[in-house]
Amino acid sequence: MKTKNSDNYTKWQKSFERETKIDLNEASSETDEGIKIKPVYTKADIENLSFVDNDSLPGQLPYTRGPKASMYTNRPWTIRQYAGFSTAEESNDFYKKNLKSGQKGLSVAFDLPTHRGYDSDDDLVMGDVGKAGVAIDTVEDMKILFNDIPLDQMSVSMTMNGAVLPVLSSFIVAGEEQNVNKNLLSGTIQNDILKEFMVRNTYIYPPDPSMKIVADIIEFTSKEMPKFNSISISGYHMQEAGADNVLELAYTLADGMEYVRAALSKGLDIDDFAPRLSFFFAIGTDFFMEIAKLRAARTLWYKIMKDFGAKNEKSLILRTHCQTSGVSLTEKDPYNNIIRTSYEALSAILGGTQSLHTNSFDEAIALPTDESARIARNTQLILQNETGVTNTVDPLAGSYFIESLTDELSKKAWEVIEEIESLGGMTKAVKAGVPKLKIEESATKKQAKVDSGSRVVVGVNKFKNPKEPKVDVRVIDNNRVRDDQIKKINDVKASRDQKAVDESLAKLVTAAKEDSNLLARSIDAIKNRATVGEVSKALEQVYGRHFATSLSVSGVYGKHFEGDEDFMNVTKKVNIFEEENGRRPRVLVVKMGQDGHDRGAKIVATSFADMGFDVDMGPLFQSPKDVAKDAIENDVHAIGVSTLAAGHKTLVPELMKSLKEIDPKSKIIVFVGGVIPEQDYNFLYENNISAIFGPGSNIIESAEKVIDLISDKIHEHN
Amino acid sequence: MQLVEKIIKGERAAIAKAITLVESSRENDKNESRKLISELLNKPGKSIRVGFSGPPGVGKSTFIESFGRYLVEKNYKLGILAIDPSSQITGGSILGDKTRMIEISKNPNTFIRSTPSRGSLGGISVGTREASIILDAAGYDFIFIETVGVGQSETMATNLVDIFSLIVGPGSGDELQGIKKGITEYADIFIVNKNDGDLKSEASKTASDYKSAISYYKKSDDTADKEVLLVSAIEQTGMKKVIETIQNIVSQNKKNKNFDERRAKQFTYWIEEEVREIIQFNIQKKIRADGSISQLSQKVMDGKIQMFEAIEAITQNLQNK
Ligand code: B12
Ligand SMILES: Nc1nc2c(ncn2[C@@H]2O[C@H](COP(=O)(O)OP(=O)(O)OP(=O)(O)O)[C@@H](O)[C@H]2O)c(=O)[nH]1
Ligand SMILES: [Mg+2]
Repeated sequence: MKTKNSDNYTKWQKSFERETKIDLNEASSETDEGIKIKPVYTKADIENLSFVDNDSLPGQLPYTRGPKASMYTNRPWTIRQYAGFSTAEESNDFYKKNLKSGQKGLSVAFDLPTHRGYDSDDDLVMGDVGKAGVAIDTVEDMKILFNDIPLDQMSVSMTMNGAVLPVLSSFIVAGEEQNVNKNLLSGTIQNDILKEFMVRNTYIYPPDPSMKIVADIIEFTSKEMPKFNSISISGYHMQEAGADNVLELAYTLADGMEYVRAALSKGLDIDDFAPRLSFFFAIGTDFFMEIAKLRAARTLWYKIMKDFGAKNEKSLILRTHCQTSGVSLTEKDPYNNIIRTSYEALSAILGGTQSLHTNSFDEAIALPTDESARIARNTQLILQNETGVTNTVDPLAGSYFIESLTDELSKKAWEVIEEIESLGGMTKAVKAGVPKLKIEESATKKQAKVDSGSRVVVGVNKFKNPKEPKVDVRVIDNNRVRDDQIKKINDVKASRDQKAVDESLAKLVTAAKEDSNLLARSIDAIKNRATVGEVSKALEQVYGRHFATSLSVSGVYGKHFEGDEDFMNVTKKVNIFEEENGRRPRVLVVKMGQDGHDRGAKIVATSFADMGFDVDMGPLFQSPKDVAKDAIENDVHAIGVSTLAAGHKTLVPELMKSLKEIDPKSKIIVFVGGVIPEQDYNFLYENNISAIFGPGSNIIESAEKVIDLISDKIHEHN
Repeated sequence: MQLVEKIIKGERAAIAKAITLVESSRENDKNESRKLISELLNKPGKSIRVGFSGPPGVGKSTFIESFGRYLVEKNYKLGILAIDPSSQITGGSILGDKTRMIEISKNPNTFIRSTPSRGSLGGISVGTREASIILDAAGYDFIFIETVGVGQSETMATNLVDIFSLIVGPGSGDELQGIKKGITEYADIFIVNKNDGDLKSEASKTASDYKSAISYYKKSDDTADKEVLLVSAIEQTGMKKVIETIQNIVSQNKKNKNFDERRAKQFTYWIEEEVREIIQFNIQKKIRADGSISQLSQKVMDGKIQMFEAIEAITQNLQNK
């Protein structure tokens, strides 16, 4: 038998090498994770696996094949689309329409002010109200959000981390006032603060008190809300920020371990809360890798929980939500995105996800329209109803390739988990900034691959559409939303019992100082009609607000382009510029408002520096006024505004105004990068913006354009 | 000169442009820069220049943010020059210090400028001295200069500042043995940062290590005593003591004339350096002017003449001119 196999293999190898004219040893391709993918896999590849057990079945340990025995054959995955925009009224309308059209669960996207614990009337959030999610200021908004949606029947997922206390409290009180007791509420609160410090950037307090809040919520829900997932431990945002699958998998599970420890430190028994821990992963374009990742995640979590001493079977099983990758979707030739999303969705299903969000094709342009959201939802309805994928559990089990990949991914992730553990766990690692930097490094490498063309993105760096289609865009008038919200806040404030509010907020502060459970206290405050901002500010008095210090990668982008002609062309221009002007071109890259998307800004900054620019990096959450001061004091040639959360129409004109206020003769040119619908281009040009770099911009070309614009400006004045 | 007036009025854009001028590597700018600085020297302000050095990551920027917040609350005006070390092979750099100075950078009473270090004086950038003169004329009470590294304490102290402070982290006391002499000589204040949380006991230990180290230092004159201070930049503790110490040292050194003497020495050194630079530049220009140097070196390469002959020919030629 053995000899026959090896004879066959030798024969195959000969044929392969004859067909390809490539030595088999050289024929592997390497993934972003550094995993070698061979042209063929055989039985030999699954003979000595470390983590995977070839004999196990679905619903059996180590749960590689799925958390349940029957999986989709019994009930398909939950179609759960993430959505929210503008006011609670409008989002409620949108939800109800979607539920009628076949969506099964709700998933609420809050706007950035809510995420960061500011009320809509706060000056700091002028450009952000209702723009990238729904604005919730008081429990009254929350009640409107679920108007005519019975909370004892609908499972609701809420992406909320920073302002988790007031928002979860509002949800609980909204339920109560619908006559639904909290023990009947089902759904999930994201409540995963560690990845906020790493990549998502909607933190409010420093890491230690933030971890306490997470633990308080796990404690409270494990006792009072048996049907509610206390946390959604999320790798999704890491991959979207640029992490490869090993990093995403390892950091997510390491986060999970840290939360388990935090909950244990409250004196809880592991089996009291572990069954309510849930997960969230991204599904990108690497089809088989993503399938392997979900299988590996379950396999590793089983091992981790076993080591923690969990006994209840439910504690050992990883259940997950998935979302297709937004960052894989392009602004250019956007209908291609429907196809990308379909493959990613299939990958998630073959990996055995419990629920799924599929992105809309206008992802890189703006929030979805009714139409694009319909197509995204139908992607899943078609999979469920037309393709037969629900008929067999874990259909790829036994595939030499999939099993071997699952095991290899597990091994690699395990090494990274051990590395984090040796640093003292994820909270410590996060404080040191290690994971964030690793993810940024990975993101920079990916960008270099696309910019150099070694990774093809159809419609972006190859096979471009000569006739770009025009697509409709959802437009949100944030000034109107803000006015509406302010009016509602004022109404609430006028009719509430102020003394009761003050007292309950004071009790919350005391609880924070005394280290007792904060969720119970914040429910009282919210019931008394304290606002989301007031609750957040009360805790800020005790904990302070966290400001991230950010490190930068250096040399990663440049290394990819050693000897590259276009790259050298820019560095040459920079050197000539320096000779002529006595200094290098100097660019300030900024993020304004509450927009926490920093992947693009960080990549552009490090790449420009690699090409020889001096790049000033502003912190997150700057106001236009701060940026103007910073730019003028450092006498930069240009400001590059990176804006993805749709605040540009408010914030960019403010910046132009502030620059002129400090220096009426300012010659600083301003350009804008990020997610800008084409419909807004003219508006920006009319505000004297020199250039716009949308999603998919090649950074080397952008750098060349920037240095040319700067030179032109200097010559224009000489 | 209009620029001078604007600087003295404290116009932000003018100050910034002037700093660009003094940092410029362009030959024309150098002359203009010298003229500007000469004029500004006639209109001195009242600022105290304090240097903050220390190894990467000890919290220099965070300390300046924290200490700066404390000072602006007391209505002091702060000029901050952050020399960022992150220069790279390609010559570009990412200037990220301001991500650690978030609060003070918003304050109208601060002026914060980052500069890539790029060679020269081991970490102190070209133009730092001139930039501090500009900020002085513009009316800032304190000028803080942040640089990396302990190795530059000498240049920093002897060239640039009235008070030189070294920021160190908990646990760095062990390294003292090797570098004792240099730092005890040049630093006026030792700031042990990160005196918080788990690090507290380690920080105190480090502080006493430094205290015993400076006790070896024999003062030759009546300069102010060196001080070791414990702070936490993150928790903003120990700040009052830092400002008191700075003020004490200043007033004591002013009383016994050390303050002015130090500035005078720096001045002499500076002029010397400028002269050296100009001479060097002129000579280089002359040497390269007629192209004979490349012809001569070609001859050396071809083995037609000896190297010393080439050198002699060039120096002869220079002297004859
Ligand atoms: C990645 C991503 C995330 C990550 C961000 C990780 C991080 N640390 O950056 C995660 C998952 C955390 C995230 C979260 C959210 N996101 Co998001 N996200 C994206 C996504 C998919 C890709 C953005 C990206 O990083 N692309 C890769 C980088 C390299 O590209 P880039 O930033 O566009 O930069 C390129 C160019 O634009 C240009 N450029 C950009 N900046 C600059 C600057 C200069 C100087 C220059 C020269 C060039 C330049 O050059 C770069 C290279 O090509 C976009 C959709 C999309 N496909 O664009 C949505 C998107 C931006 N997100 C969106 C939303 C709503 C959110 C949330 C607010 C959702 C919510 N309600 O909770 C949260 C909150 C995040 C926050 N704190 O602000 C919306 C914004 C809606 C809008 N604009 O109308 C988008 C458009 C998706 C959508 N259609 O709904 N997101
Ligand atoms: N525990 C503690 N950490 C601090 C303190 N001050 C700074 N840090 C941390 O130390 C790290 C480095 O701080 P920076 O202020 O950037 O240090 P730096 O010396 O300016 O660094 P470079 O400019 O890169 O040389 C950051 O993670 C800070 O949060 C402090 O007082 N206590
Ligand atoms: Mg620093």
